[in-house]
Amino acid sequence: MSPPALDRPGTLRRQADVIAASAWLGWQIDANWADPFTFLVFSIAKPLATSLILYFMVRIVSPASATGDAFLFLFLGNTFFLYVTEVMIGISWAVFRDREDYETLKYVYLAPIPLRSYLFGRGMAKMGTATLGVTVALLFGRFVLHLPIGTPHTPWGLVVLAVLLGLVAVAWLGIVLAGLSLVVARHSINLNEGLGGVLYLLSGAVFPIEVLPGFAQRISLWLPFTYWLELLRRLILGRSFSKVLHGVSDGMLWLVLVLSTVGIAVFAWVWFRFCEHVARSRGLIDWKTNY
Amino acid sequence: MLPADWRERLRLNWGAVQARARVRIVASWREKSWIIGDTVFPFLAMSAFILVYRGLHAPRIYEAFVVLGGAMIAYWNNVLWSMASQFFWEKEQGQLQLYMMAPVSRMAILFGMALGGMVMTTSRAIVILTGGVLLYHVPLPLDRAFPAFLLFLLTLGAVYGLGMILSSLFLLWGREVWHTATLFQEPIHLLSGFYFPVRALGAVTAGLASLLPITLGLDGIRQILYGKAAHGLIPLVWIPPLQVLLLVFFLFLAHRSLALMENLGKREGRLTLRGG
Repeated sequence: MSPPALDRPGTLRRQADVIAASAWLGWQIDANWADPFTFLVFSIAKPLATSLILYFMVRIVSPASATGDAFLFLFLGNTFFLYVTEVMIGISWAVFRDREDYETLKYVYLAPIPLRSYLFGRGMAKMGTATLGVTVALLFGRFVLHLPIGTPHTPWGLVVLAVLLGLVAVAWLGIVLAGLSLVVARHSINLNEGLGGVLYLLSGAVFPIEVLPGFAQRISLWLPFTYWLELLRRLILGRSFSKVLHGVSDGMLWLVLVLSTVGIAVFAWVWFRFCEHVARSRGLIDWKTNY
Repeated sequence: MLPADWRERLRLNWGAVQARARVRIVASWREKSWIIGDTVFPFLAMSAFILVYRGLHAPRIYEAFVVLGGAMIAYWNNVLWSMASQFFWEKEQGQLQLYMMAPVSRMAILFGMALGGMVMTTSRAIVILTGGVLLYHVPLPLDRAFPAFLLFLLTLGAVYGLGMILSSLFLLWGREVWHTATLFQEPIHLLSGFYFPVRALGAVTAGLASLLPITLGLDGIRQILYGKAAHGLIPLVWIPPLQVLLLVFFLFLAHRSLALMENLGKREGRLTLRGG
């Protein structure tokens, strides 16, 4: 007897169930080892530390500019970039952890669930912890560092929408890396983390992209995160910071973000299928590598 | 002349050091993705911090601080993820019990890990230094490189000694190892002044941060290379003896701590727990 149509792998309801279950699993793996307070401390340590590193870098060069525009620019970019590192790398790490540490990837793979949706779910748990970190960092910036984050006219609804749209792109990029992780050894996580660093550099998270050399600026303008961060800065602060993107309207930034997200999603879909095929044909689904 | 059983023990332990180091040295060249992931990408990530200073029109010497800090971060991350957490990985993969059964000191295995880790990480540090000099033209006075290198070696000894202590502490833990290692990453990057002179943190915070040998070592190396422009925390003459003290203290503590944690782990049956 065949299962009801809604329960078949591939249906939307089934996909949603898989995402919800794996998000819960990811949350348990991330969070159930400690009491909530300890977990909170661990979750906010990274965003606060990176913000303070930048604070001291600006302050030591020019004490007066630590609360000025220069710091505000890089504070916001650095804070929202936390989503990219946490979610994108988190999804690819899930492959290594399940494959090599818990040795459960083979069982997940054998289960009648789409692997891609399972990994999306694991990414959702990371979105939760990243949101916690970003929120605390913004509050820290506003109330401890006294940064002028947000005005009475800040459209917070649009800010949330922009964050969500960026997260979709980040999650699909995570799927690209997860595909790669299926076919490379465990220590190649350095490759994935390194890619996070490259995006940090090229998307102008902590400096205006006009500082980059010409060829790097051109690459930067192909990355959705460059537009994402510019859009978030404009929405929160009400003005443009980048000289290069000054002439680009807000509407155009939204459009570029939507189109590039769709582009990444299509590429990720095809790439993941290819990597999955390679991993199966080479017997890498239950591979173990550690030196 | 040493008694025969001592000679045998020395031979076995030295063999363990070489064997554990060899795995890492061979592995670092066997995986091509590792070479790129461990050299080019971290260099690009570090470049972001150089460009922060460039965007702020800071003096070029600040970019040199970032380059030196970037090279030292490579070693700190290696200590965290491949020394301190390594027994946790080994436990999860079922290899820890083999180490426990082997007729060699756990210190020998950790020493091998440290040597192998240093060799693995040096390729990354070299790329960062070379890239910093060639691409960003940061000043690196080679005439003062030898004393700086000696202090660097001393610092590495103390830092990997600290890694051995952490390794023993992490031995019994489960998933909190993962989060603790993460906690020791960016916050230590901040406290150790990897991207700016540690003095900027203020006397009290910077003084406490100097209990970490990597903070002290980096401060000293910057002072040797750049003199007063390095905004050093404590006089340079104090740093080498302090590092020697830290090295000896950490090695002693690591030895005691390993024995203690191993016995505790055996009593509580936590040396073979997996996925905890």
